[in-house]
Amino acid sequence: MRTSRVNRLRLVAGGTTRHAVLIVVSVLLGFPLLWMVLTSLKTNSQALAVPVVWWPHPFLWQNYPQVLSAVPFYRFFLNTLLYAAVTIVGVCLSSSLVAYGFSRIRWRGRDFLFQVMVSTLLIPFFATLVPLFVMYKRFHMVGWYLPLMIPTFLGSSVFSTFLLRQFFMTVPEALSDAARVDGANEFYIYSRIMLPLAKPAMATVVLFQFIYCWNDYIGPLVYINNQVWYPLSLGLYLILGTYTTNWPWVMAAATAATAPIIVLFFLTQRTFIQGIAIQGTGVKG
Amino acid sequence: MQATDSPPLPSAPPLPRAQRLSPSVHRRHTRAGLLFVSPWVIGFLCFFAYPFFATIYYSFTDFNGVGAAKFIGFTNYVNLFHDPLFRTSLFNTFYYTACELPLSTIAALGLALLLNMKVKGRAIYRTIFYIPSIVPLVASCMIFVWIFNPVSGIVNDLLTSAHLPAPNWFFSIAWSKPSFILLGLWGLGQPMVIYLAGLQGVPREMYEVAALDGAGPWRRLRYITIPMISPVILFNVVLQLVLCISYFTQAQVIENSDIGGPGTSTWFYVQYLYEQAFQFLKLGYSSAMAFFLFVVSGIIMVLLFRSSSRWVYYANEPR
Repeated sequence: MRTSRVNRLRLVAGGTTRHAVLIVVSVLLGFPLLWMVLTSLKTNSQALAVPVVWWPHPFLWQNYPQVLSAVPFYRFFLNTLLYAAVTIVGVCLSSSLVAYGFSRIRWRGRDFLFQVMVSTLLIPFFATLVPLFVMYKRFHMVGWYLPLMIPTFLGSSVFSTFLLRQFFMTVPEALSDAARVDGANEFYIYSRIMLPLAKPAMATVVLFQFIYCWNDYIGPLVYINNQVWYPLSLGLYLILGTYTTNWPWVMAAATAATAPIIVLFFLTQRTFIQGIAIQGTGVKG
Repeated sequence: MQATDSPPLPSAPPLPRAQRLSPSVHRRHTRAGLLFVSPWVIGFLCFFAYPFFATIYYSFTDFNGVGAAKFIGFTNYVNLFHDPLFRTSLFNTFYYTACELPLSTIAALGLALLLNMKVKGRAIYRTIFYIPSIVPLVASCMIFVWIFNPVSGIVNDLLTSAHLPAPNWFFSIAWSKPSFILLGLWGLGQPMVIYLAGLQGVPREMYEVAALDGAGPWRRLRYITIPMISPVILFNVVLQLVLCISYFTQAQVIENSDIGGPGTSTWFYVQYLYEQAFQFLKLGYSSAMAFFLFVVSGIIMVLLFRSSSRWVYYANEPR
């Protein structure tokens, strides 16, 4: 009797400590975002006040329309969408083809080439940047998104290929064999059997590519030099450089660029988390 | 010596070969396979193989991007080793990596261990822990510089009211690098989720047996959890290492906006490479820097993978 009560007490106490630890960590990690939103609703003098004013009074909603019209923010938004849309098409096409070749057909040299592909992940972006820039400059492609779009049609997204390959390997070989017996060629099997099956994996690929484009800073920094074509990341950079004296505006811009991606995350959380987990646990050595 | 004290490398299981297939079928498969992966092969040749060799070539030239590249032998490399900024930026990157890599590994694994506990509302905690890593990098720079603002930032406000020293964070030579490290520790969602998936793959019975044998939580972590997830640790360490070596965005955003990184205290290697190429148009010099980066990161990777045969345990392979 007594011991079970002690045990139960210990369980409750253990549960409370666990929650306490988790809540403290959540507050630490969540606070910067909360502070971003709170600052974005303050007047500049409230934001700069010492000691700190915690709660905006009144809520200054007009910070948002003001900072978003101070720079062509909607244009940046559309540019980002365009960049994402084209590269999503590229990644879906090329990564699924390449992943099929690396998983559903058995041929000599396949595993070696696959290892070469995975090891390109270890090459720092900047190690190859200069000749690529010179090459694109010669082809008069610098200034717009082509240098960032073309590679995605040529299997540049190793993570997507990897993810789709992991998926394709889970599909029973018997399915392909049955189709082959019926005279289907590999492209038919790829396009009519495997792609429809791969819809959930493709959704993950689309999601990751979208977030990649939304956050990509280095690529546009190198290749996009005309403000008209800035994506959101460079737009934020522009705002940061121009309005460092007005932190509520800076925070409003940060909130405007962050909110859509967080909403998207909430809507697609399961796909998201599974996708990352597959990447990590699928790698062996 | 080395061969005797390390366990023999596990030999890969024999791959099922297509030996029973006739040569013509075999050829057909190879052709089909190559055709499917050809987009990547073309991409690899254009975007990795060509620029790799071109980088080596440019590194021996004086080249500004428009004229012809003039061959100057090892001059770039000689200049490189006499360039104080090269050494500073190399040191800063090393400093950042040496701090960030262990700290981020411990933090991401710690977060994953917390999330792996049996508590109600785990999904909510996981969401909160993950979200910082999808915040656009420029936005996270803005947020951190603001909350660590020396005068009106919330962090120093709290530190002052707790009668603790309030450093100048991003604006101080001594604290700017630690500030960047803190910023890096905020967005660990990806390694955290990968660790969590690894933790969930550890068979529960192993813990039960260990608990029966009287192993406490620390010993269970040390002798069961860590060996069982060691392949995942290797994966995450490698990815974090690549990120640390090419640390750029945060430093560039914050320094170019004049809101932190005084002097050369946070000049990182890749940033200097970028400035040499796109600010000063010294493409030869920055190619030498790029090749040096490639060689150094290659050596680190080889050492890391060599060492991994001692500490990474693959459960499904014989030891």
